[in-house]
Amino acid sequence: MKRRMLGTFGVLLAGAALLAGCGKSSSSSSNSGAKDAKKFPEATATATAKKGGSITIAEESDTPVKGVFLNELSDSQYDQDFMAFGNEGLFATDDQYKINNKGAATFKMDRKAKTVTIEVKKGVKWSDGKQVTAKDVEYSYEIIANKASQSSRYTSSLADIVGLAEYHDGKSKKISGIEMPDGENGRKVVLHFKEMKPGMTQSGNGFFWEYAAPYHYLKDVPFSKLQSSDKVRKNPLFFGPYKLSKLVRGQSATWVRNPYYYRGKAKLDKITISVISPNSASQSIKSKKFDMIDVVNSQWKEVKGTKGYNFVAQIPLSYSYMGFKVGKWDKKTGSVKMNKNSKMSNRYLRQAMGYAMNVDEVTQHYTQGLSFRVKTLVPEAFGDFYDKSVKGFPLNIKKANALLDKAGYKKKKGETYRRDPNGKKLTIHLAAMSGSPNQEAIVQNYIQQWKKIGLHVTLTTGRLIEFNSFYDKVRNDDPSVDVFMAAWSLSSEPTQDDLYGPKAPYNFTRFATSENTKLLKEMNSDKAFNHSYRVQKFHEWQQYMQKEAFVIPLTNSYSITAVNSKLVNYSTKPSKAATLWYETGFKK
Amino acid sequence: MWKTVLRRVLIMIPQLILLSIIVFMLAKMMPGDPFTGLINPNSSPKEIARLKQAYGLNDPVPVQYVRWIKNLLHGDLGQSYIQHVPVASLIADRAQNTFWLSLLSTIFLYGIAIPMGISAGKHEGEWQDRAISVFNYVTYAIPGFVFYLLGLWLFGFTLGWFPISGTVAANASGFWGVFFSRLQHMILPAILYAIIATTGTVQYLRTGIIDNKVEDYVKTARSKGVPEKVVFNKHILRNSFLPIAAFMGNTITGLLGGSLIIETVFSFPGMGKLFLDSISQRDYTTLTALIMIFGTLTLLGNLLSDIIMSLVDPRIRVK
Repeated sequence: MKRRMLGTFGVLLAGAALLAGCGKSSSSSSNSGAKDAKKFPEATATATAKKGGSITIAEESDTPVKGVFLNELSDSQYDQDFMAFGNEGLFATDDQYKINNKGAATFKMDRKAKTVTIEVKKGVKWSDGKQVTAKDVEYSYEIIANKASQSSRYTSSLADIVGLAEYHDGKSKKISGIEMPDGENGRKVVLHFKEMKPGMTQSGNGFFWEYAAPYHYLKDVPFSKLQSSDKVRKNPLFFGPYKLSKLVRGQSATWVRNPYYYRGKAKLDKITISVISPNSASQSIKSKKFDMIDVVNSQWKEVKGTKGYNFVAQIPLSYSYMGFKVGKWDKKTGSVKMNKNSKMSNRYLRQAMGYAMNVDEVTQHYTQGLSFRVKTLVPEAFGDFYDKSVKGFPLNIKKANALLDKAGYKKKKGETYRRDPNGKKLTIHLAAMSGSPNQEAIVQNYIQQWKKIGLHVTLTTGRLIEFNSFYDKVRNDDPSVDVFMAAWSLSSEPTQDDLYGPKAPYNFTRFATSENTKLLKEMNSDKAFNHSYRVQKFHEWQQYMQKEAFVIPLTNSYSITAVNSKLVNYSTKPSKAATLWYETGFKK
Repeated sequence: MWKTVLRRVLIMIPQLILLSIIVFMLAKMMPGDPFTGLINPNSSPKEIARLKQAYGLNDPVPVQYVRWIKNLLHGDLGQSYIQHVPVASLIADRAQNTFWLSLLSTIFLYGIAIPMGISAGKHEGEWQDRAISVFNYVTYAIPGFVFYLLGLWLFGFTLGWFPISGTVAANASGFWGVFFSRLQHMILPAILYAIIATTGTVQYLRTGIIDNKVEDYVKTARSKGVPEKVVFNKHILRNSFLPIAAFMGNTITGLLGGSLIIETVFSFPGMGKLFLDSISQRDYTTLTALIMIFGTLTLLGNLLSDIIMSLVDPRIRVK
């Protein structure tokens, strides 16, 4: 089960996104932008569910699930899926991921005082019956920031909380910026920030943590032992609608109703989630082994007619893209150093490569329309932040040729390929990841497209590159990479700093101009607390990205789940995430 | 005899040291590290660097090697980077699954192959022999994964007789409940594995019987008037088992190696699967520990084979 993720596993999922991007084909119109492609419902029927019944859910994974059932330490999406039934966060959101007060805690931001106040609602109880307290909220930060716990969740964004960095470095025993006005057993926590950011109202913003950890239960376990402790791996506590009743390490988990759940009693008696091999996914659907199971997109053709299931889909917050190396990472200053004279620094060359790509044809041919071309780097799911007017790079060979002519990339008589404006031979090295069986064909197709406009593109290393080696090369600005195809999975806060900012190591293209930096800054400036100003800046930035074309957005794919058609109230909508498992049940 | 064993064990030491060096260096040469998969916009590179430092991944490779060997000699296999538990407990967990599956497979394997081999050898050229030959050609020609998937599809999905993945049902409880659930999970993979792996055993046995049938000592026995049944069981069959006994040692130690393909197809969390995962996830500690274990097992297996051989075949006893 793929649920909403708060920005874990960029790259891992990126690999998966690439995989998803290449199935088999046949689909509707050629203008298959995200909007036209919405052909799946986002939810099953909403109805009164009866009490009772049990369901089984498939978790498709090639590897046994790790089973670190503590948000602060978990770094695997599979773990998140395994614990989703009990693991409720503090907040609920609307459909654009904006935090509201419908969840387990309320949220109040005070810009002047530079604080965020979180108040856990009364009656929100752990599955052992104890109220969730202020200390539980604070304890999460201790786990994350304490070096002994080896959490990978400590980030520079989180260090915006006053005193967290000092605690992390061991300079102080307490996190000075986390205040509990009613004491540890109270329900109120005030977080003090060094700087307020407009994105703070969005879930997934990374400036504060959105879960709590059961302090009363875990306090006796030293931080260094948390990861392997039975209290985390075998008998975790949550405050969501279900509680863990049985675990087969790495393989399956059985959840039963949490009698103390604050919203009331959940509908189902029992939920069992088991790992199966992704290779068995389509057969499992056809033989109806599970009540909920993700569709592997490349197997869509085999399963789409299966009776007894509703196919519910969401468009995940992710995209695949093509990036151009236009600079290097400067280790000394910890910033991007753009090189105006690099091979790919000519914007017309980059645009031309984008216009030469037949992305729509490829997605139709290889993915049954389950993948589609994306036009900008801000996914449509972000509502008004997404700029409809940006057209991306639809196939246009004529325009591509004209752009290259204009920029001075000319052919010598009798040659197949264009030379660079200085008259030197031009070979562009493309790095692409191996993954699905179609990947090779897709990449070769693009190379042919570029040949059509007279560009000589060859594969770095001569073949597709394995995931680890690929990112090794891209991250280290390997000179054998001019262009690369990769993918990102995004957090639910649309800020672009971490991927495209001048100080972001993940700015793999190493593109940094004063204009870009300015726009990114404005998107998160004080003024940007005004929503329409922020939206406007997001639009300006998307238009700027379209013009500069140092990253060409390629595709995104549906993530489809087959849901037993007798089940109601299942939804992939962000606004339903907090109550999803509480409400899902069998039709009355 | 014991001298030989001792000598062989002593030779194993430099072999293992060499193996450990090669394994360690190769593991480190793979691009990427356990944290590559964690890269995402929300995990700061500084933190990843810190984690690498904390796990000692930034030290020079020889330093890492010495530390690793030291821990190894103390019986400490280290902590898995990916699973966040001690490697020893991880391996113990998986080895158990693999051991039972392999044991069941081996029982099925010999249960099927030995009668077939005997029958084929006894009835050389007759219909039994030809039928078994056809069977052998077919099972030898089918790639394992195709056969396993086919079996999974037929018995797991279509007929629904067996579970399709894992080692035990989520709702199994009580000793017998768990026991039968485990057995039920293992039967299909074990039988499928056994069926497709029979070729070698059947052929060795068949050839052995056919060859031995015309040996002088068999003729002598016959001419002495020994009943045919005794000739076959005592003289022919015993000697024909020699090549199988030669492999015995490796079969026994191989019980822990696991089958990569079958474990993958059946999502069976065993040693083979663990090995593959530890490579793709760059889980160095698990990977190196596994290779060392496999290496040791192989060497032990060869030794065991030799011992078994010298026990059953006095001709090859080494001085």
